[in-house]
Amino acid sequence: MREWIRVFKAGLSVENPLTILMIGLCATLAVSTQVQGAMFMGVAVIFVLVMSNTLISAFRKVIPSEVRIPVFIVIIASFVTIVDLFMKAFFPPIYAVLGIWIPLIVVNCIILGRAEAFAYHNSVWLSTADGLGMGVGYSIVLVVLAFLREFFGSGRIEFFGQAILKMPAGYAGPTILMMFPGAFILFGLIIALMRWLNERSSTRKAA
Amino acid sequence: MKSSPLRLILSVLVVCVVAAAGLAATYAVTAPEIAAQEKAAEADALRGVLPDAATFEPVDDAVLIAAQELAGDSKVDAIFRALDTSGKQIGWGVKVGSRGYGGYINLVLGLDRDGKVSGATILTMNETPGLGTRIQTEPSFLEQYLGLPAGFTEKDVKALDMISGATKSSRGVRNSVVVTSIVFDQVLKDAGEVR
Repeated sequence: MREWIRVFKAGLSVENPLTILMIGLCATLAVSTQVQGAMFMGVAVIFVLVMSNTLISAFRKVIPSEVRIPVFIVIIASFVTIVDLFMKAFFPPIYAVLGIWIPLIVVNCIILGRAEAFAYHNSVWLSTADGLGMGVGYSIVLVVLAFLREFFGSGRIEFFGQAILKMPAGYAGPTILMMFPGAFILFGLIIALMRWLNERSSTRKAA
Repeated sequence: MKSSPLRLILSVLVVCVVAAAGLAATYAVTAPEIAAQEKAAEADALRGVLPDAATFEPVDDAVLIAAQELAGDSKVDAIFRALDTSGKQIGWGVKVGSRGYGGYINLVLGLDRDGKVSGATILTMNETPGLGTRIQTEPSFLEQYLGLPAGFTEKDVKALDMISGATKSSRGVRNSVVVTSIVFDQVLKDAGEVR
């Protein structure tokens, strides 16, 4: 169990897919314009990551290594399509926001990267922890980035068309935050913050 | 460890068959739901732009094709006749799309029998959130089209305000309205649609 927790926590901090491994950034920058969309994207990624990690790990001994990549991709693509269809059927407003980025989870390097680097070599138990940790770590950074962009860029946070948090009237945010350059700048600041936090906790442990 | 070719083929085949079966099952569950959602969204939009109408029926294919030929860079996806409870025609609902900043902005426009815009709703769009999406979040933008006189022309549409900072998105909406006016003028008016 201690090993499980260690693997899970690594995804959140020292091996965070976005701020440390820096994979899967393209979709991150694109969907982080709205907190609502970012949350659903996070849920979709967690689901796909946990399911594909678990399944690939369970069958790792029977998947021949020569064809492992095609097999991984088929498994990942199936789970992504399931998410895609369910979102289209039951959450159309969310699907309208995320659109193409849901099917593109298939080629998100976080999923394939974890399948190859972790699930193919580790037990089912630990692979699930890795999927969950990576997915949650991804989602936290994504939602924080989306919050900063939406709140300061557009001056309000909206859920299903309802503003739940508003800047005082007359606030005109820097619209650059809603565009890619602003996303890059904010993301850089988040990386710096994460590094600082990780470094501080590791020096504390040493001391 | 090297695997035999047969084993490679079999393992990929098995994975694909299982995956396909899983997806087929998911699709069977979600497909009716997805179709219903799309229909509901369309019906909602039509009712929104023509509040007095009771039913909507699609126009003949020939009329739609004639309209599509006039559309140019825009596209006309569907035209509906709007009927009130007594079956009298009170106007048209037009599904029309033009390119904005991020692909097509799809609108539903309602026209009354004189060709006056009775309502405009954005169905789907991919504009930059917070910038291009202001064509939707600032209601005054779409509302100004309701003030156009009957038989309005491109010149009338171009005299209306655009949203600064969202020029391309505004232009996408504007082009759709212009196309709708042309379609009304050249197709719907002459097609014997008015009963």
